[in-house]
Amino acid sequence: MDNQDYRPDPEAILEKIKDEEEKETGKLKIFFGYAAGVGKTYAMLDEAKDRYNMGTDVLVGYAEPHERPETLRFLEGLPVLPPKIIPYKSMELKEFDLDEALKRKPRLILVDELAHTNAAGSRNRKRYQDVEELLNAGIDVYTTVNVQHLESLNNVVEDVTRITVRETVPDYIFDRADMVKVIDIEPEELLHRLKEGKVYREERAKTAMNNFFTVENLKVLREIALRKATERISNENQNERVMQEKMASTKFLVCIGASPSSAKCLRWTARAAEAFHAHWIAVYVEEEDMPASEQKQAIRENMELAEKLGAEVTTLNGHDIAETIAEYARLSGITNIVVGKSRNKKTIKSLFEMDFEDKLISLLPQIEVHIIPDSALTRRFKAKGRLIFLKPHLSFKGSDMIKMAGILLISLLLCEGLQTLNFGEQNVIMVFILSVLIVSRITEGYFYGVFGSIVSVLLFNFFFTEPYFTFNAIGNGYPLTFLIMLLVALITSALTVRIKTQARLAVEREHRTEVMYEINKKLLATRETENIVSLVLDYAVKLFGRSVILYTINDKAEMNGGFLQSEEEEDASFMRSDDEKAVAHWVFVNQKRAGAGTDTLMGAGAYYQPVLFQGNVLAVIGLSCKKGNLDHNNRLFLRMIAPLVAMALERQRLSDEQRNILVETEKEKMRSNLLRAISHDLRTPLTGILGASSAILENEGTLNAETNHQLVVNIREDSQWLIRMVENLLSVTRIKEGTMNVTKTLEAGEEVIAEAVGRIRIRYPGRNILVKVPEELLEVPMDGTLIAQVIINLLENAIKHSKEDAFIEIHLEKQEKWAVFEVLDNGRGILKEDVPYIFDSYMPGGDKPLDSSRGMGIGLSICMSIIKAHNGRMEAENRSGGGAAFRFYLPVEEN
Amino acid sequence: MEPLILVVEDDETIGNFISAVLTANGYKVIRCTGGKEAIQMNASHVPDLILLDLGLPDMDGLEVLKNIRMWSKIPIVVVSARGYEREKVQALDMEADDYIVKPFGTSELLARIRTALRHGIRSKDGEEKQESFVTIGELKIDFDKRIVQMAGERIHLTPIEYKILALLSRHPGKVLTHDYIIREIWGPYANESRTLRVNMANIRRKIEKNPGEPQYILTEMGVGYRMADK
Repeated sequence: MDNQDYRPDPEAILEKIKDEEEKETGKLKIFFGYAAGVGKTYAMLDEAKDRYNMGTDVLVGYAEPHERPETLRFLEGLPVLPPKIIPYKSMELKEFDLDEALKRKPRLILVDELAHTNAAGSRNRKRYQDVEELLNAGIDVYTTVNVQHLESLNNVVEDVTRITVRETVPDYIFDRADMVKVIDIEPEELLHRLKEGKVYREERAKTAMNNFFTVENLKVLREIALRKATERISNENQNERVMQEKMASTKFLVCIGASPSSAKCLRWTARAAEAFHAHWIAVYVEEEDMPASEQKQAIRENMELAEKLGAEVTTLNGHDIAETIAEYARLSGITNIVVGKSRNKKTIKSLFEMDFEDKLISLLPQIEVHIIPDSALTRRFKAKGRLIFLKPHLSFKGSDMIKMAGILLISLLLCEGLQTLNFGEQNVIMVFILSVLIVSRITEGYFYGVFGSIVSVLLFNFFFTEPYFTFNAIGNGYPLTFLIMLLVALITSALTVRIKTQARLAVEREHRTEVMYEINKKLLATRETENIVSLVLDYAVKLFGRSVILYTINDKAEMNGGFLQSEEEEDASFMRSDDEKAVAHWVFVNQKRAGAGTDTLMGAGAYYQPVLFQGNVLAVIGLSCKKGNLDHNNRLFLRMIAPLVAMALERQRLSDEQRNILVETEKEKMRSNLLRAISHDLRTPLTGILGASSAILENEGTLNAETNHQLVVNIREDSQWLIRMVENLLSVTRIKEGTMNVTKTLEAGEEVIAEAVGRIRIRYPGRNILVKVPEELLEVPMDGTLIAQVIINLLENAIKHSKEDAFIEIHLEKQEKWAVFEVLDNGRGILKEDVPYIFDSYMPGGDKPLDSSRGMGIGLSICMSIIKAHNGRMEAENRSGGGAAFRFYLPVEEN
Repeated sequence: MEPLILVVEDDETIGNFISAVLTANGYKVIRCTGGKEAIQMNASHVPDLILLDLGLPDMDGLEVLKNIRMWSKIPIVVVSARGYEREKVQALDMEADDYIVKPFGTSELLARIRTALRHGIRSKDGEEKQESFVTIGELKIDFDKRIVQMAGERIHLTPIEYKILALLSRHPGKVLTHDYIIREIWGPYANESRTLRVNMANIRRKIEKNPGEPQYILTEMGVGYRMADK
C-alpha cells in the first residue's frame, strides 16, 4: 500500500493552516477623521495605490468622490467596481455593488463612508453590514469613517455641535478593526480647504460652513476623535491579565424603558463599560400593564440600540421595577447601575413614595448608581406616554356597563330595604362600598370602578341623605362621607385592577414556562432530525400563529427546509421560494438574524433567526411576517426556544456520529470475521495441494498410475476451489469502502445470468441447469461482475447440495419495481437452525464456518454484502417439495 | 510446419505450464519475460502468434501491443486478470485479436489460440475476402441475399438486427467490443449502448432456443459480444 509510506509534510500542513486562517476573515483598516475633508479618502486611495503597485489585487468598491479633482485623479489606474444603480422614486441612486464584489473576491477592497445608509432595496440597510460580509468572505477592507458617526459618541457630538447625526456605526466595528489610521489636520487648514471648494462644491460648502464647520465645532470634534483613537491605543497596550481581572470585577447594568432618554443612558454605559473593559447588561422590566404599541416600538428600538452597542439584553418581569432590578443585580454580580432620571414635579404621591433610585440604593447599598439626567424633550414625551398608557383602561364595554348598573341597582334596592328596616346609614355606606368593590372585581380596567364609586356617592346622596331625593347634602359632614367613599372606591378598584393584571402576567409567564418545559420534554424524547424539525414546526406554528420554516444542514452542508403552513394565514408558500431560501442561507453564513423587521435583507417576507450552538449555526428558523413584523415578545420567545432546538439538534448530530462509529466497528468486525474464516479455509486446500504434489514428486516411479491420477485430480480440485475463493474476495474489494456502494450501470439481466451459467458449465460440465428469463428484456442497474459472482455462488451452492443428476433452476422475473433472481434446487435443503445465520460468515458461538466442507458460508455472506450494496435484499427458504430456494431482489430503477 | 508461438509471460510457473501444453499440442514455443524483449523477439523470429501477458515487469503490456501493432498484423492474444474489463476493452481497441482471462484452463487456451491463428491466416490470405455466406451450427447467413436461416427456417430480422448479426457472423469466435459494434452499425459519436442491448435481446429471442443460455451470440460481460465459433 503506497499510502502507508505517505507522511504528511509538516510544512505543507503549516501552509494549509496559514491558508485556512487567512481564509477565515479579512483585515479591516479604518481611516478615521474628525470631519469631512480631512483627507481620509485621499489617504485611503494613496495607500491602496501603493499596494496595487506592489502587486496586490486591489478593487475600489466604492469611493465617494464629492467631485474632488485630487481624489478623482487618484482613482485613475486602479480597478474600480461599477456602482449598482438602484431606482429610487424618480432618481437613480448609485450604491456599492456587494454581490459583484463578493463574486470578484479581490484581496483588498476599498469601500468609502462606512456609516452610509444603503438605499431601500439593497440587501443590507447599512454599509458596515456590507463590510462585515466582505470581511467574512476573507476580503481585506479599507474604509473611512468620521468620529460623529460612532454610535457611542453620537450624543456627545450632538451635545457639542447641536447637530444630530443619523447615520451611525456600531462601536464594535471600530473596535474590531485591525488597524485604525487617524487622519488629522488643523481645523483652520480644513476650513481653508473648504473655502477653496476642495471638500464640497461651492453652494454646499456655504451651508456646511454655517452649520457644522465652525472652528469651535471642529476643535471639539478633533479632540473627541483623537481621544477615541488614544483610547484604542491604550486598550491595545493593556495587559491581557489586567483586563480579565477588570472584566470580572466591573459589570454595568443599565435600565431601559420606552423613553428616548434610555438611548442616552445606553450610550453613556457603552462608553463607560468600554473604558473599564467591563461587561454590561441592558435590562428592561416588563410592566404589568401592556404598553401601547408606540411605546413597544420605542422599547424595541432601544433594545436594538443596546445590542448594537454591544450589550447583553435581558427582559425581566416584575411588579416593582426597583425590587426586580435589585434582585437581578444581586444575582448576576452587577457593580454599577445606570438609570435615567427626569425631574418630576412634586405630587402628593411622590411625598409618600420613595424615588426609584432611592429605593434602588436602599436595596443595594454596595452598588454604585449612576444617574443620567433627562433632557426637556423627553418630559413631553412621557406626558404623552402616560395618556396612551391609560387609554386601554378607558375603553367601553357594554357587558361591563350592564354588570355595573345591575350591581348598583341591587345595592340600591338592598339599601332601600335596610333604610325601611332602620338599620342605620353606616350600613348603607358599607353596602355601597361593597358594591364598588364587586364592580372593580368583575369589570375590566379602572373606569367602572371609578364611575361606579361616583354613581354610588350620587345615589347615596340622592336617596339616603337629608333632604331626600335631592343632591343637596350640606350638613352633618356628608361631604366628608362622600370623599371617603370615593377614595375607598378608587383605591379598591386600583388594587383589584393591579391584582388582575398581575395575575394575567403570571398566567402568561406560567404559560411560557410551561410551553418551554413541554417543548424541552418533547425534544428530549425525540429522535431523528426530521422528527425534531416537525415537532419544532408544530409548536412554532401553534405559538406564533404564523407559518414557519426550519432549515437544518446535513453533513454535506446542504440546507434542508421543513415547512409548516399556519392555518391563520392564507398562503405562505412564498417562504419556499428561492429568494427566501437565499435569505436563510445568508443567515447560515453570517450567523445573524435577517429578513423582515431587521436591518438585513428587510425586503424578505419572513424573519429568520439562526439557531446557534457553540458558535455554529445548526439551523435557521423563519417566521412569516405577512401579518406584520414580530413584536418584542415574540422575538424574545423565539430566542428562548432557539437554544432548546439547538441542543436537540446537537444531540442528534452527536448520536448520528456515534451511530456511524458503531457501523464502522460493525464493518470492522465483519472484516476481521471474514479474515479469520478465510485464513482457516485457505489452509485446507493449500495443505491438500502441497501434500498431493509432494507425494507425486517424492514417490516417482513407486506410485501406481491410478493413485497418481487421483492425486493430480485432487490438486486440480483444490486449486479450483482456491481460485473461486480469491474471486469472491476480489469481488468484495469492488464494493466501495465507507459508502458500501457499487458503481452501477444498466445491464441486461439475461446476459448476466448467461455469463454466470456459462462459467458454471465450464466448471461443472454435465450438470442440468435450467435457465428461465422473461420474454421482455429486463434491464437492471448493477455491477454486472458482482451480480454474476452472486449467481455463480448460488448455483455452486445449489450444485453442491444436490445430486449429480438433479435439476438446478435459475429464474429471472420482474415483480413491480424489483428484478427477482431465483436459484432453486431439489437437494437436501437448509437445516432449520441454520436459516437465521445462512448469510453470516460465522455462526454465533461456533468456531466452524457454516459449511465446513469448504466455506460456502463465506460465499453466501459475500453474496449478502453485494446485494446490500445494491440496495437489494436476499432471502433463503426451503421449498415445499424439498430443496432450497435462494432469491435476491434488485431495484429496477435507480434510487 | 507447426505454428511458432511467442509466449510473453513473466511468471515462470505459468510460462512452464503454457509452453508444456502448447508443445504437447503441436506448436513450437519461444518464451520471453519482458516487454522490450518481446518486441525484439517478434522482429527477429517473426512468430505466427503472440500470447501477451498484460502485467509485465518492465513495461505496460498495452504499450507492447501498441508498439507491435504499428507495423505488424500478427495475431495477438492478451492474457489479463478477471475484473479488469477496461483493460480488456482497451486491448481489443488496440487491435488485439482476443483475450483470455487468468486463471484459465488448457482447453480454453487452445481454443483461443486456434481461433486467433485462423483469423490471422484469413487476413493474410487476401485482405479479409468477403464470403458470400456463413454457417455456424444451424445458423446460416447468406450475405448476398441478406437471408438468415435457423435450422432451415427463415428468420425475419429488422435491418439493424441483420446488420448486427452479419457483423458478428463475419468474425466468428472473435470478441467485438460494444464500441466497435456501435461504431460499425450507427457510425462514430453515437451513444447507442442501450439500443444495442435491446436489439441483441431481440435477435436472441429470434435465433436462440433460450435467450438465458445463448448458443450463438455469447456475452463477454463488460466487454462486448462474441459469435460462437463452430
